Amino acid sequence: MKTANKCYQASPATLDRRWYVVDARDQVLGRLAVRIATVLMGKHKPTYTPHVDTGDFVVVLNAGKVKVTGTRKKQQVVYQRYSGYPSGLREITMETMLQRHPERVLEYAVRRMLPKNALARKMLSKLKLYAGDQHPHQAQQPEPLPN
Amino acid sequence: MPRVTPGHATRQRRKRILKDAKGYRASRSTLFRPAKQTVIKAGQYAFRDRRVRKREFRALWIIRVSAACDARGISYSHFINGLKKAGVFLNRKMLSEVAIADAPAFDKLVEMAKKAATA
Repeated sequence: MKTANKCYQASPATLDRRWYVVDARDQVLGRLAVRIATVLMGKHKPTYTPHVDTGDFVVVLNAGKVKVTGTRKKQQVVYQRYSGYPSGLREITMETMLQRHPERVLEYAVRRMLPKNALARKMLSKLKLYAGDQHPHQAQQPEPLPN
Repeated sequence: MPRVTPGHATRQRRKRILKDAKGYRASRSTLFRPAKQTVIKAGQYAFRDRRVRKREFRALWIIRVSAACDARGISYSHFINGLKKAGVFLNRKMLSEVAIADAPAFDKLVEMAKKAATA
């Protein structure tokens, strides 16, 4: 059987970029992060190409109001960063993070689901998180995020 | 008998290796010994990766077909199972190309797969 020798490759010029919006209120953190990460990576489209950012934009409202299941998970999940100096380890629990930077909990969850490379930083720049239920992207006419 | 030294032959042999090593970084492109090692290793990688390439592309096609299936409310595995039962033997590459270039045709394929899976 003779088949085409080359298969489709997306290129930045032919991308079809969409905008999606989702309300994070009472959505389970990880379940929501999976859906967002899939769209940011472009894996929801048949034109997915690994070396090109084929993903769409995602606007998240009420980003800090996600649901965290389990009775003690908010105290048990700890975000760590290390400054490089001796005793420079900073730790912050999810509970305090939700108070200080409510949208960062979801951002971390999504970021860690993306590939660990330069393309991931481009993908993450398409994620727009807001602690409130308003967003300044009306002009892009975002559609509701598919399941 | 004049004395024969291997000077010319050696230079030609080394030039051949260094030609293959063009574009490598640092001493790997300029010095004979590192260049020779790197050229041999490059050949090994090339041999292995010609085989790996086939798997990587198949994985990519599966990701694409899976995305097209999810959008139509059927999982990839059910889709493939349905097609097999329906006697459709398009390979994954063609399925992914159909999903990109001809969405209505892919709708039909999904329909066929769904019907065959329940029958």
